[in-house]
Amino acid sequence: MKTIKTVFLALTLALAAPTQAQSVDEILSNYFENIGGADNFKQLEGLKFDGTGSQQGFEFPISMVQLKDGRQMFSFTFQGKEIKQGVYDGEILWNTNFMTMKAEKSDAEQTANFKLNTNDFPDSFMDYKDKGYTVELLGTETMEGADTFKVKLVKEPITVDGVEEEDVSFYYFDTEDFVPIAVEAMVRTGPAKGKMSKTVMSDYQEVDGLYFPYSTTQYVDGNLMFTMTLENIELNPTVEASEFAFPEDIAEEKE
Amino acid sequence: MKGKYIVSLAFLMLAGLFVNAQQTLASIKGKQLFGDLKARHIGPALMSGRINDMAVHPTNSRIIYAGSAGGGVWKSSDAGVSFNPIFDDYCQSIGSVALDPNDPDNTIYVGTGETWTRNSVSVGDGLYKSVDGGANWAKIGFENSERIANIIVNPENSKEIYVGVLGALWGDSEERGVFKTTDGGETWEKLLYINAKTGCADLAMDPKNPNVMYASMWEFRRTGWSFDSGGENSALYKTTDGGKTWNKIHNGFPEGKLGRLAIAIAPSNSNVLYTVIEAEKDERKGLYRSDDAGESWKQLNNDFGITVRPFYFSRIVVDPRDEDVVVKGGLFGSISRDGGKTFKNLGNMHADIHDIVFSIKDSDIMYVGTDGGVYRSWDGGNTMEIVQNMPLSQFYHISIDDAEPYNVYGGLQDNGSWWGPSSSPGGVEARDWNSLGFGDGFRVLKHPTKSIVYSEMQGAQNVWRIDTEKNLVKTIQPLPTEEKQKLRFNWNAPMAVSKNQPDRFYMGSQFLHKSEDMGETWEIISPDLTTNDPAKQNQEDSGGLSTDNSGAENHTTIFTIAESPLNENVIWVGTDDGNVQVTQDGGKTWTNTIANIQGLPQNTWCYHIEASTFDSGTAYAVFDGHTQNDKTPYAYKTTDYGKTWTNIITDDVYGFARNIQEDYVNPDLLFLGTEFGLYITMDGGKNWKKFTNNMPSVAVHFIDLHKGTNDLVMGTHGRGVIILDDISPLREINEEVLNTTLHFFDTQPTVIDETSTFSGNFGTETEFKGSSRSNNVRLTYFLKKRHTFGKMGMEIKNDQGKVVATIPPGKSKGVNIVEWNYKLKQPKIATGKTFSFGGFTAPQVPAGTYTAVMTKGKQTFEHNFELVYDSKSKLSVKDRDDKNGTTMKLYDMTQDLAFLVYEVDQLLASAEENRDKKTLAKLNELKETLVITTGDNYVGSAEPQLREKMANLYSKVAASYDAPTPDDLQNLMVISERFSQAREDFTKIKNKYLKKQTVELKSFEDFLKD
Repeated sequence: MKTIKTVFLALTLALAAPTQAQSVDEILSNYFENIGGADNFKQLEGLKFDGTGSQQGFEFPISMVQLKDGRQMFSFTFQGKEIKQGVYDGEILWNTNFMTMKAEKSDAEQTANFKLNTNDFPDSFMDYKDKGYTVELLGTETMEGADTFKVKLVKEPITVDGVEEEDVSFYYFDTEDFVPIAVEAMVRTGPAKGKMSKTVMSDYQEVDGLYFPYSTTQYVDGNLMFTMTLENIELNPTVEASEFAFPEDIAEEKE
Repeated sequence: MKGKYIVSLAFLMLAGLFVNAQQTLASIKGKQLFGDLKARHIGPALMSGRINDMAVHPTNSRIIYAGSAGGGVWKSSDAGVSFNPIFDDYCQSIGSVALDPNDPDNTIYVGTGETWTRNSVSVGDGLYKSVDGGANWAKIGFENSERIANIIVNPENSKEIYVGVLGALWGDSEERGVFKTTDGGETWEKLLYINAKTGCADLAMDPKNPNVMYASMWEFRRTGWSFDSGGENSALYKTTDGGKTWNKIHNGFPEGKLGRLAIAIAPSNSNVLYTVIEAEKDERKGLYRSDDAGESWKQLNNDFGITVRPFYFSRIVVDPRDEDVVVKGGLFGSISRDGGKTFKNLGNMHADIHDIVFSIKDSDIMYVGTDGGVYRSWDGGNTMEIVQNMPLSQFYHISIDDAEPYNVYGGLQDNGSWWGPSSSPGGVEARDWNSLGFGDGFRVLKHPTKSIVYSEMQGAQNVWRIDTEKNLVKTIQPLPTEEKQKLRFNWNAPMAVSKNQPDRFYMGSQFLHKSEDMGETWEIISPDLTTNDPAKQNQEDSGGLSTDNSGAENHTTIFTIAESPLNENVIWVGTDDGNVQVTQDGGKTWTNTIANIQGLPQNTWCYHIEASTFDSGTAYAVFDGHTQNDKTPYAYKTTDYGKTWTNIITDDVYGFARNIQEDYVNPDLLFLGTEFGLYITMDGGKNWKKFTNNMPSVAVHFIDLHKGTNDLVMGTHGRGVIILDDISPLREINEEVLNTTLHFFDTQPTVIDETSTFSGNFGTETEFKGSSRSNNVRLTYFLKKRHTFGKMGMEIKNDQGKVVATIPPGKSKGVNIVEWNYKLKQPKIATGKTFSFGGFTAPQVPAGTYTAVMTKGKQTFEHNFELVYDSKSKLSVKDRDDKNGTTMKLYDMTQDLAFLVYEVDQLLASAEENRDKKTLAKLNELKETLVITTGDNYVGSAEPQLREKMANLYSKVAASYDAPTPDDLQNLMVISERFSQAREDFTKIKNKYLKKQTVELKSFEDFLKD
């Protein structure tokens, strides 16, 4: 009888262990350890991602650069023409206009909100306390059919159409390997305002000892919007400053 | 030591268990299994559905909440232009929504269980709280409250919350009255309780002094056959000490018993109170006002609009800026601008007004909750406009036909009867729905072969036979055929058509009526099949203090009729008073089988009988006991015409059940509609899984399964029609599949869709638009485990093994669905200054056999599938060959031109480097004829060149369903010749230049890969 009790206790403990033993900091610590170590990530100066975007049956080459100093760029190529979106040179956030194929500045509110995220390289959770962020473990949940820890991340408040709002997102870390496999956040502007967006990550692969998700799919209100499949990730890339610069002068010269 | 050994052993055993863990139908959770199988909502939203309660954010005028009667909580962030659901995972019947005034952006309370207690109300299951603006919710108590009328957070202390619990409608309950927490909801104290039949119908707090509160207590009870409002215990109470003591404040009230009372405090002057009183005498009913905080009351008005149906309309709202502007819910809604003395109706909108809120910024702006959704007013309630994106329609029943796409028919609470397409080009819009009757709508059935539809209104007061082609309507309900005969039809009267005899039509009163000529003549083919209990037939006495004999309480009636699809002589009948009758000889003799059902309380409402398609002796019966205060789900199966019945419900199922649907292929695959959503079993009822993918926990009143498409179609009572497309993968789920790394499900041949539409792009910015069924190939597979690490990709190959598409696959554990639009990639287009819009067209592949090749790490999985042309298409094989041949010729030519321009550009770069002005000039001259080199993508565009002309022709041919026209072919010749000339010209320049210089050029194949 005693044996049965002991076995039962052991089973109970073992079953309970995955959910009870984890604090949110332990989850994050496991996460960073499993993807190559927080210190190694902190040494990164920048990242360049190249791959394929897929949207409603269309495929096109995409490229993304993120630098430690906050400069960022996303571009895709249609018919051999590069179109840049969400380019930030440290001060100005700009996009290529589809009609004129010329650069145009984002509005002041969007730029200000974007600036708030420039401290997120290489990962929003890295040194989150120093950034004034709060994280909270909400519990376990089934996401993508897998058992996950649901973690709430609150970053600096953003401003939406003149009103300050909390910047909240929910990360789902796989309970087996502690990497995030999905992120949810509320869409705050545009026609999908008020609906939930979900980004699903998979195909984690190693690059010089660090792991990155090579496949990212975005959904809005449950509908598939965009998939990005990476082919190459370059650590600490060399990128010309002019790539990020808002091309006012260049545009004028060409006129 | 021994103990340690045992523990280690236990861990080893456990570890082994995990490593070799076999997934079983019992162990796998719904969320681990159903994956990409996702419900699709088609509304309709044009008539929306019942709203119970509304709330405004106290400081942000853009944020409005609506708590619906059966469709959950909806939030607007755009000042009421549109709303989004924020409570889908929980009970969808809402009593009250409240914000913490100290943290209104984040902290929201939702009390479940609607409080306007009509016969068809659903039930709640507790109080919920969100601390993140509605993204996540936790239940914080009141599990058995059934209906929560009010939630008030002390504006000076967020941890102090008062809850008014109306409580159970159908039976005694002690979980009712006024409750208070001082620790944010961890513990609750019952402050005011009268008895098990009297609940808190309304609660108000003095905005200037949170210790002062008013509570209206209401004695009420509903049964399946009656309603009783009022009694000695109904009263209005006041506390001035935060709920410690309560005193009745009836100075000036009518004598005798009281019914439902509403209470409102003028926010601008808390001495001014309004109440609406249901009293014994009609002349003493109506609106009362106090100007001394309840010390004394004066009756001001007892118009119809103020006194009508108190159980349904007891809501008073005072303008936050003017104590004399009072709005009262009602049949049409009433507004007074003289402090309650006189009223006029609110503006024209859907009838049955349940709640009103004023904008925090401007009292001209009002939001009104009705039986037909939320309305906005910009002019103080005179003109009302409906919010168009809330599909809250409350179906009692649905049916489907065999059109392509099939149509869905159904009747709605207070919103008539309708039919609309299950799928429509550009999405299912409001304008796709057609009305089929007025009043409350219930069953709507399509004749199996003719363009005839049967519909009805409440209590079979009218049953219509509608010729939908000729717009001819005949009223055909069975009438008494003898002097003393009184037919008892349920409010939701049953009707059925026969699968064996298309013109046969059944209706049920207490008798089963059969017509062989579409309702023209009727024959009674049964005795009274109910208990015929006279104690349950006194509806003229129903209502309590306010007589309410609408017919909604008609009882001892037939509720469900099912003729076996395999044998027309086998007919099942279920009654609202708990009989299950069967005939095996077309109605000559009947057997009541109810005594053969074990464990079912007596007189439990038989809500649905499903006659099996596998065997005429097999049937399923679903019982709903909630009108006897019993919320247990009941479903039974018989295989011997009701001699024995087996319980097929397990503890997995939460919430009482109303409907069941058997699969046509796998008899163990069953779908159960419950008050809190859809459940699915794949083993004949041994294990049930809740289905939650885009499927709210909404009451599912009726389910049908479409044979042609395998779509599961649900009529929900609060979220319209919800469809689960193609459930066929579930037929293959078994424990072997559950333990396979990757299992491809069978893919039926996919018909290539050659239709196009311009619909769906106009006027739907703020309107709900239901999603349509996808016409793509659906490649469906089961993954035993979620794929997170390593590469996983999918390619589609044609029958020659050539890769024609690359598709990012789903990686979820469970069922994944990947769609392919059976198109190649768009061609590689020559680079110019601007886009060539024709070049964005991707050509359709021809019909044939294709193979999906999935690579997961080092493993490869293959699956063949067929693409076929529509057999109804009038295109010949030659037409298609011409179309495909010409398209691909242009596709290839477009890519050849892209390569040519690439070579030109390479040579240009070299010539520029070498300052070879002559070659540069020649190349530039050539290039300017090949692609656009100036202008922009809009009105600054330049004259089209060869690339644009070629791509436009390519797009024109590829995007047309038909063979190319003679003009197309003529144009192709012109373009081909022009291209040949360009190639010739370039070859001359190139050959000459390459003699002088070396230029590194890619091969055509490498160029395409880049």
